[in-house]
Amino acid sequence: MAKAELKSNTKTEIEDSSSLKGTLASVFFIGFFIIVLWVGVYFLYLDRF
Amino acid sequence: MIKSPLKSKVDSRDGKLAMAHLYVAFIALLVGGLAGLLQVLVRSGKFQLPAGIGYYQILTVHGVVLGLVLTTFFIMGFQLSVVSKTAGTFTGKQRTVGWIGFWIMTIGTIAAAVMILLNKASVLYTFYAPLQAHFIFYLGLTLVVVGSWTVGAAIIMKYAEWRRANPGQQSPLLTFMALVNTLMWIVATIGVAATVLIQLLPWSLGWVDTVNVAVSRTLFWYFGHPLVYFWLLPAYMVWYAIIPKIIGGKIFSDSLARMSFILFLLFSIPVGFHHQLLEPGIDAAWKFLQVVLTFAVVIPSLMTAFSLFASFETFGRSKGAKGLFGWLKKLPWGDARFTVPFIGMVAFIPAGAGGIVNASHQMNQVIHNTIWVTGHFHLTVATAVVLTFFGAAFWLVPHLTGRKLTKKMNKLALIQGSLWAIGMTFMSGAMHAAGLLGAPRRSAFSDYGGSAQAAEWIPYQIAQAVGGSILFIAIILMLYIFINLAFFAPKGEQEFPVGEALHPEEKAPMVFENWKLWLGITVLLILFAYTIPFIDLIQNAPPGSKGFKLW
Repeated sequence: MAKAELKSNTKTEIEDSSSLKGTLASVFFIGFFIIVLWVGVYFLYLDRF
Repeated sequence: MIKSPLKSKVDSRDGKLAMAHLYVAFIALLVGGLAGLLQVLVRSGKFQLPAGIGYYQILTVHGVVLGLVLTTFFIMGFQLSVVSKTAGTFTGKQRTVGWIGFWIMTIGTIAAAVMILLNKASVLYTFYAPLQAHFIFYLGLTLVVVGSWTVGAAIIMKYAEWRRANPGQQSPLLTFMALVNTLMWIVATIGVAATVLIQLLPWSLGWVDTVNVAVSRTLFWYFGHPLVYFWLLPAYMVWYAIIPKIIGGKIFSDSLARMSFILFLLFSIPVGFHHQLLEPGIDAAWKFLQVVLTFAVVIPSLMTAFSLFASFETFGRSKGAKGLFGWLKKLPWGDARFTVPFIGMVAFIPAGAGGIVNASHQMNQVIHNTIWVTGHFHLTVATAVVLTFFGAAFWLVPHLTGRKLTKKMNKLALIQGSLWAIGMTFMSGAMHAAGLLGAPRRSAFSDYGGSAQAAEWIPYQIAQAVGGSILFIAIILMLYIFINLAFFAPKGEQEFPVGEALHPEEKAPMVFENWKLWLGITVLLILFAYTIPFIDLIQNAPPGSKGFKLW
């Protein structure tokens, strides 16, 4: 019983209307995009010069 | 809160001044857009310009008219509107100063445009020495800059008046942002004013025979990089302070928005060397320093990205959105005032990432002077910025002319934004790809003597022509919407959306309004980044160059 209660509490917290987890995921996506593009051109540079 | 004279409508006298700027901006869109279409057609190799018109002439028209005229006029009109709306109607004297500035800019624009059309100034929008234009071209550009200072003076006067009337209060967010952009513009344009007045004008008039090329290019880029932030910050004003209201949400943080603008003031200017990474005469250590400062500008841009996502997510969750990205579905996709600038925001992700590649010292060698760079700034200024300006025009123009954005125009506006996205994906994508294969920028069609490498670029040049043609259709559609909103849309009240902060009780620190401090740090950073390099460039200068007219 106690276990079930704990579970439902956690769920409420995640669905909290002030959660910014989508924002966190989005800015991480931008960060990864920047890194992937940068590393891609960096290897092109190493290959050519 | 009542202290700020937030009026429901911009005063019609201020509206006329702002609209005068927008008329010039949209005429520029037509002329510059047409030149752009001709360029991509020439570069496809399937089309030749008639009547002896030169490729470099239309390239200059495109760059000057869109990069300098459209942007500056739109920004001045937009900033006058937001200041009038949030800090109160301009006084008669302030408005007169604004009109004087408008006419000085307009006369300068006409002078420069006539010289380009007469083929006396095909020096591209960067007007690099030793290419030498007719002196009236330089004089015209000087008038555009002086006129923009005069319009800026009206904004500064209004801000000063507001501060006197509201001691100890933080200024309205949009007025604060317009002021930061105006101050940055004034500090930045000192560089271009210096090269034009001290170097290029006397040289084009024949008073001196030669010019120090490296100094003129360095002064140009002292101005040229903050120029791109001068374009970008009004788009950020819309993103930070207006879009939240359009979607029905709140500004995530007023203080964060102000801080990011202050960081742009500090870090936008001492970074011009990242455009000159492959130029001789500048010590690598100073290039490195300016690259570090360039990367500092990444911080406020990422703060902006965070803040926008947070505004959207907070809004979506308040409407009951669930899951990691459920809030995206709650956004008003049917509203062009939101969706068109949103396309711009998305474009800014690859645009910003590409910029970080460009500014990385060694990697600049991969892309320098290739058409990758052209692809890059068609994502930044020609998508992120311009689509945001269009998105603002959809409510600003009818607000100022006492009309309404109808459902039909909103629908056309959505089509316009989508066409732009499709056209730019083709054009800019092909430019990036061809650039990585070594295709040069700023050059007319050539098969380079049948070179195998140049043959690889041709399919991408065709793709650019397809994309550019789609973009031109989008431009025509935009002009139709603009004319409708300015002259034919039904009379009514169109809302001027001004966002409110999520937590209005949290006041931004007053230190943000301490201009002695921020301008002081700005000047110190500039002196630190530029003094010794300039001494080097002048003391160790090679013989100056005479002027060349290669067109």
